Amino acid sequence: MSIALTNATAPIAGRVRAYFAPVDRATSAPSIFDPAQSGTFPIDTPPAPWLDLGWIANFARKAETKVNPLRSGAPAIVQTQVRTEVEATVSLEFESWGKIQLALSSGSDQMNLLATATGAVANGSGGVAGTAVPLVNSDSTSTTLDVGSASANFAVGELVAVDIDYAGQTGYVGSGVSAAYVASAAAVNSDINYIRRVTLNVGRIVSIASGILTLGSPLLAGTPAAGMKVSPLTGFCDREGGRFFQEWSALFVFDGEQGDRVLYHYPRLQAMQGSAEIVSALTGTATGLAAPLERMRLAAAFRALPVTDANDSAQVVCFRSYLPGPMRAV
Amino acid sequence: MQSARDTFYVVLRTRLAAINPARTIVLRGQVRPGILVEENELPTAFQPVDAFSLRWTATRVDAASPLPLVAMECQISYATDGTAANAGMDRGRLLAAMDGELLAALNQTPQSALKMNYSGVAATGAAAVPMSTNIFWSQPTFAAATSDDERIARVATVQVFSYQEAGEL
Repeated sequence: MSIALTNATAPIAGRVRAYFAPVDRATSAPSIFDPAQSGTFPIDTPPAPWLDLGWIANFARKAETKVNPLRSGAPAIVQTQVRTEVEATVSLEFESWGKIQLALSSGSDQMNLLATATGAVANGSGGVAGTAVPLVNSDSTSTTLDVGSASANFAVGELVAVDIDYAGQTGYVGSGVSAAYVASAAAVNSDINYIRRVTLNVGRIVSIASGILTLGSPLLAGTPAAGMKVSPLTGFCDREGGRFFQEWSALFVFDGEQGDRVLYHYPRLQAMQGSAEIVSALTGTATGLAAPLERMRLAAAFRALPVTDANDSAQVVCFRSYLPGPMRAV
Repeated sequence: MQSARDTFYVVLRTRLAAINPARTIVLRGQVRPGILVEENELPTAFQPVDAFSLRWTATRVDAASPLPLVAMECQISYATDGTAANAGMDRGRLLAAMDGELLAALNQTPQSALKMNYSGVAATGAAAVPMSTNIFWSQPTFAAATSDDERIARVATVQVFSYQEAGEL
């Protein structure tokens, strides 16, 4: 059987989808996406450890690699070219707001507004937190937290942070993904709740029964480790400034309407701007009555850091893969 | 171009029937899902109610692509008088239900489908033949609802795109 090939056309798609995965900050080990093995994954179900952060707008890649001529002779004539710098940046706007989107767009550490202790002194990123609730019975999972009789202190719909106590650790902290860098215990006032204050291991309670808090989505760090505790929180806070740079592995998918797919994989993206939003007028009907309403999208910008390609030891910052549509000429 | 039109109609019909199987019309003596293509039916001034009626209007071809890219505009008209049991006072709700069904069908992923050649179906009863490219379509735009006595109606417009394949007419 022989099937005629069809001319390949330029990929067409409406939007770009973003997926992020943790980088082990202590070792600078990124999450590597293998397009040869996983490139055709269903767009709604990325392979582990990739987290689906939804559609993005105004995705812009910028290659800032400098290629310069090498001249010799008199008069000087270009003999060859050399790459004198390799650099790339990415900017985008998230269509949805969430803890990770906020963390990525904040550029720095992103705090949880933990419920405060009675009489706590006012503070811009939240006052001293109340006592965290320990997990009991060791039967918690990534979506169920066994807090025993303390479940009476929680309510359906409440947000919670789940992580270990701060006990003088220095370096990167946060379960599942590095959420902040602690230079010294003194810098964080030896706050027992500090790790829960910065952790990205958060969820929302959707039901409570028999001492079990059920979360609407799995915790980023998976099954809670021994010693983790639960702190209720009211929201999230980031600051202009700070000492920490978010660094994540990223995958962007342009899913073509002809069955073709373009994947952009940045193994190490580090935030290169502070928290910002893009405000745009809300699309309404022809009457124009929507004009005063505006939508705020989280804006993020990143600089790509290098990894070594195991195939040829090349230092690269980005991989672009193209999966042609079925029976397209190549 | 006809294959793209036929494919879009069949995809939309299938999706609408899945979303609301109870929405049907009787057409030439047969009960069918509540959607028809105006140009494929007998000429009539009668506008069916509680059903979607497709009309193909503007067409534009971009020949710069390796395969000519055809953009076709499809107007989808629908209307309702409400139900007699409610003295027509539910006509707004019924129109909103049709808005919702149409939006759900068009926004369902994927917003594309493999183009099929249905020319043999009508001629000889042969099965539809899969072609090499996909059709795809835009987000719909909804015009203002219009009222005519007890009838309330709306027109939604969607652009349907397809590549003109080698040898395709």
